[in-house]
Amino acid sequence: MSNQKKRIFQIEAFQNRVVVDPKYAEKTWKILVHAIHEIYNHNASGLSFEELYRNAYNMVLHKFGEKLYSGLVTTMTAHLKEISKSIEAAQGNLFLEELNRKWNDHNKALQMIRDILMYMDRTYIPDTHKTPVHEPGLNLWRDNIIHSGKIQSRLLSTLLELVHRERTGEVIDRGLMRNIVKMLMDLGSSIYQEDFEKPFLEVSAEFYRGESQKFIECYDCGDYLKKAEIRLNEEIERVTHYLDAKSEGKITNVVEKEMIANHMMRLVHMENSGLVNMLLNDKHGDLGRMYNLFRRVPNGLAMIRDVMTSHLRETGKQLVTDAESLKDPVEYVQRLLDEKEKYDGIISLAFSNDKTFQNALNSSFEYFINLNSRSPEFISLFVDDKLRKGLKGVSEGDVEIILDKVMMIFRYLQEKDVFEKYYKQHLAKRLLSLIVKLKTACGYQYTSKLEGMFTDMKTSQDTMQGFCSSHPELTDGPTLVVQVLTTGSWPTQPSITCHLSFEMSALCEKFRSYYLGTHTDIKAIFGKGQKHELNVSTYQMCVLMLFNNADRLCYKEIEQGTAIPASDLKRCLQSMACVKGKNVLRKEPMSKDIGEDDSFFVNEKFASKFYKVKVGTVVAQKESEPEKQETRQRVEEDRKPQIEAAIVRIMKSRKVLDHNNIIAEVTKQLQSRFLANPTEIKKRIESLIEREFLERDNSDRKMYRYLA
Amino acid sequence: MKRKDTVKLISADEMEFIIDKDAAMVSQTIGNMLTSPGGFAEMELGEVTFPEISAVILEKICQYFYWALQYSRFVFLYQCLVCVNAVDILNG
Repeated sequence: MSNQKKRIFQIEAFQNRVVVDPKYAEKTWKILVHAIHEIYNHNASGLSFEELYRNAYNMVLHKFGEKLYSGLVTTMTAHLKEISKSIEAAQGNLFLEELNRKWNDHNKALQMIRDILMYMDRTYIPDTHKTPVHEPGLNLWRDNIIHSGKIQSRLLSTLLELVHRERTGEVIDRGLMRNIVKMLMDLGSSIYQEDFEKPFLEVSAEFYRGESQKFIECYDCGDYLKKAEIRLNEEIERVTHYLDAKSEGKITNVVEKEMIANHMMRLVHMENSGLVNMLLNDKHGDLGRMYNLFRRVPNGLAMIRDVMTSHLRETGKQLVTDAESLKDPVEYVQRLLDEKEKYDGIISLAFSNDKTFQNALNSSFEYFINLNSRSPEFISLFVDDKLRKGLKGVSEGDVEIILDKVMMIFRYLQEKDVFEKYYKQHLAKRLLSLIVKLKTACGYQYTSKLEGMFTDMKTSQDTMQGFCSSHPELTDGPTLVVQVLTTGSWPTQPSITCHLSFEMSALCEKFRSYYLGTHTDIKAIFGKGQKHELNVSTYQMCVLMLFNNADRLCYKEIEQGTAIPASDLKRCLQSMACVKGKNVLRKEPMSKDIGEDDSFFVNEKFASKFYKVKVGTVVAQKESEPEKQETRQRVEEDRKPQIEAAIVRIMKSRKVLDHNNIIAEVTKQLQSRFLANPTEIKKRIESLIEREFLERDNSDRKMYRYLA
Repeated sequence: MKRKDTVKLISADEMEFIIDKDAAMVSQTIGNMLTSPGGFAEMELGEVTFPEISAVILEKICQYFYWALQYSRFVFLYQCLVCVNAVDILNG
């Protein structure tokens, strides 16, 4: 007793007191062996943990740890050999169950032993760098059972057979499978991989190789893909249920390789059911499946993309060269739009908006649309047609949508300027016809001017072209841009008469004769550039041309020579002689204003950085008196309605208001625009009373009331 | 009479000490004894006999268990607080 006491409180001191009974170790060990034996026989309930623990403790304490450890190993080995025999003896299906059961037993026993020998684990093991009890326990199991000759191969083949059976549709005991597989995993990942996973993958590959061969003979593309998908999902499910999660990637690779990658080409090009067929028939489900499956294998998507592209180009090419559709541009474009829409649908529904496919689509469209050089023209005709229909009452939204789609097609055009050219013409025609419609709706007067303007523009262009082409000798002379305008249609431009220089007149005459050949009377107006290439107004040009024949001219001569009205002439001369940097003429005296006695010379020293110089027209500095009055009046006129509107607004909200307040309010409202004159306001109020918008209050002459 | 979460420790001189299971678990060995899958006798009866430990010693041991329990609880609580504080600080 006292020994124990000492032992617990003075741990160091115990060696001296130990009873080293040589037989002691042997005895103790026997007890433990017996205990282990009982444990393996499920007889532990008769044992006292405390006793066994104490014994083990004592052995370690008395330096018999070595004996304990090695003894343990020997004993366990012996037991395991027994167990292995019993497992081997198991028949057929019971094999796996027996193995499972024994494994569970072993684990339990191992834990118990470990608990009893805890002290050894904690003290002896670290000191000697051996492995804790648990490990040799597992290793012993592995060596004696799993790697025992008879069991190893049988185990593997049983497992694989079960998997195979499940693949062919049988139901197997998944729980059992899971336990066994877990056992392998517990024994170490290398065991799992070597003893099971590797062969499993090989067998699976073979299986799927065979299956895919069979399927591809029997099924069409769509069905085959369905089957492949099913198998793939099956394998994934298998892994979740009873395999190591790390196997998922590996087995899916096997399936993908065998079922998809190896047969990709054949599937895609399968007659009557391959990719092309799916595209033609908008089989979105099948296409989507193909996309998902092929995405898993290298180059899968690339293959789909390539086949789609070449098919698209073929069909597109046919579309644009088909004689039938070429007859009707609207039909042509409509078919293009339909095709685009179809593929957009396919890409968004089946190919999950994959950008690479979108790009392939775009490049294909671009390719074949531009094969036909008349595409731009047709597109412009189509747009034209749609706009026309748009007027007829098709909802604006629809037209918008259609135009958007056309825009997409338009982007594919490489020759967008061709489109522009055609479209301009069509647009012009369109607008003209619109005007025609307006005319029928609102009467001739309403539209005559508009019509006139458009017609003029067109005629000008045509005439110009005609003139130039019929007089090729004029190309090196002054170039002519003519706008043939119908008087009255165009916003007022006072028709100017002036004398033109000789060359210009000659040119003018030529044009006039040409034109008169086809049209009635006109006045030709020229605008031109010269030498240093001056861009000048007509008047300025006339003046300058005079200087071709004379070096110096006085104001009166110029006036006579050009017959330009005085004020305009003065301005014209001012801009040419007095503006800094643009003084193509010199004036004497050098004053800002033009006097009747001024003389003008050509400015030899005129220099400019630019080749083309634009000489503007100086704005009139001062407005003449009558003009001023006129402007003033016009402004006053404009103000009247504004004042009236303000009065009405105020009275509407206030209902009743007295005179002074009205004035104040109106002034305040209008002060952002102009300063209202009280007299004017009064006048406006009177006018409104007359027109029965307001009334004077009967009792108070100063109050006004709003009349609804 | 015996509550579910107690164990009985019996000393060499047959003194019985009934303590909470939590306290007993302070000793890993006792813990293992009680939870070992084997179905040892101890687990069956819920009592552990120590034929080599006297009552006086065993008494001290039980006292130690309780002290250790409190201390470990304290330690545990303290650790919790430190963690919460740290989390708080880290979360800004």
